[in-house]
Amino acid sequence: MSKKINVTVKRQDEQNSGSRWEKFSLDYESGMNVTTLLQRIAANPVTVDAGESTPVAYDACCLEEVCGACSMIINGRVRQACSALVDNLLQDRPDQITLEPMTKFPVVRDLLVDRSFMFNGLKKVRAWVPVDGYFDRGPGPKMSPHQQEDQYPLTECMTCGCCVEACPQINDRSSFIGPHAISQAILFNEHPVGQFEEGERMKAITGVGGIGDCGNAQNCVKVCPKNIPLTRSIAKAGKMATKFVFRNFFGT
Amino acid sequence: MAVETAQKQSFSERHHFLLRRLHSLSGIVPVGVFLIMHLTINASINVSPEMFEENVGKIHALGPLLVPVEIVGIFLPILFHALFGFQIWFSGQPNTTAYAYNGNIRYTLQRVTGGIAFIFILYHLWHMHWLGNPLGGGHFDPHPGQAAITTAQAMQMSVWRIPVNILYAIGVLAAVYHFANGIWTSLITWGITVGPSSQRVSGVACIMFGIALSIVGLSSIRAFATMDVSEPGSSTHVDRVDSSETIHTQAG
Repeated sequence: MSKKINVTVKRQDEQNSGSRWEKFSLDYESGMNVTTLLQRIAANPVTVDAGESTPVAYDACCLEEVCGACSMIINGRVRQACSALVDNLLQDRPDQITLEPMTKFPVVRDLLVDRSFMFNGLKKVRAWVPVDGYFDRGPGPKMSPHQQEDQYPLTECMTCGCCVEACPQINDRSSFIGPHAISQAILFNEHPVGQFEEGERMKAITGVGGIGDCGNAQNCVKVCPKNIPLTRSIAKAGKMATKFVFRNFFGT
Repeated sequence: MAVETAQKQSFSERHHFLLRRLHSLSGIVPVGVFLIMHLTINASINVSPEMFEENVGKIHALGPLLVPVEIVGIFLPILFHALFGFQIWFSGQPNTTAYAYNGNIRYTLQRVTGGIAFIFILYHLWHMHWLGNPLGGGHFDPHPGQAAITTAQAMQMSVWRIPVNILYAIGVLAAVYHFANGIWTSLITWGITVGPSSQRVSGVACIMFGIALSIVGLSSIRAFATMDVSEPGSSTHVDRVDSSETIHTQAG
């Protein structure tokens, strides 16, 4: 029980204040994840060199990698705190664990960021099935099991922000809506009811920030914790966009 | 609010998708096709100087049409592709340090090689094309009996011989990489290679194509750099400048 883990956290008090690094030394236990480390810091927020500090703010909800809230940069790579196991992290780098907030989203405090960008992207492509109303519309259209299998992986998106964080095309100089939004647009374009809004979605996909802004670096698919085939969705969006623009122009 | 932003959109914003697709297309046709022609015709020097001059003669048989064809078919597309490409480059934020995936390195290299190729093309135009005449360049003389020898002389100029050849090798490799990788990404952009397996196969094909075109390009550099320029009947510098000026007036 005497083994110690060095945890370095990038901290920031407010959205516009400067950041600082704080070092914590925690007792090692087997089977810990990064959320455990943050809980241990909260229980005893004493840094190695500066003494008394405050609990580190972070977002968390499900603690089983389905909500996407606890995304942060752990040892330089974006992932969820809940599914980042300390034993694995120590295998990669035995001396230290570094925690930073994601860089593509405004920091609220410490490791807590505002992921509104993710949801704004979904709004832009109307990533939903429009079935408003109280009356019974009867059973929906049938989907083949094959199509269900194709679509299920896309439904696993938890808007965690990893793909956006790792995408070189998302920054202050670009208006790219993000791989997650493209993928969700494809999901609903291929949905038997969702496809009624395909035209609206394709307007967004072929507009500023749409598929044209993808640079094919393909980092998104590498960092996606749910292994969503994002690059397949992106290529499909390219194909749909080609057809959409031709159809619109020739009026067929 | 959507209406309001639609009214404020600039030309490039309204035609965002079309411009990006035009950028993709222009890289293949005509710029890429021209690159293949240019490198293979140059490589005919490996057969014989006569063969090379015969091929050069075929191009210059266009006579007064050559300049308009050059401007519309080569210069303007390259200029559009390059300027729009620089805009794309600066709208990205490379992050290969944090995410050193092959795809990400490929993405960054695509931008860097595009920049190198463009600067090289400017140098190459000054060095060989009659446009470089007023600035002391324009060493290539397309006339029969002159084309091969003036090219070889330009590649072997005194103290600059080694740097010039290295520069040409870098320029050719950058252009070929940019083209080969550009074919690979354009297949995704236009929705032809959608799934990962097709992208893998097209990746192998593009690598082989790139290696082949690199060998073709480098072989002509080697041939011109090692060609005997002291052949009987070879032109002097004065002759060369005179004859290239004749071409200039013919073309104009």
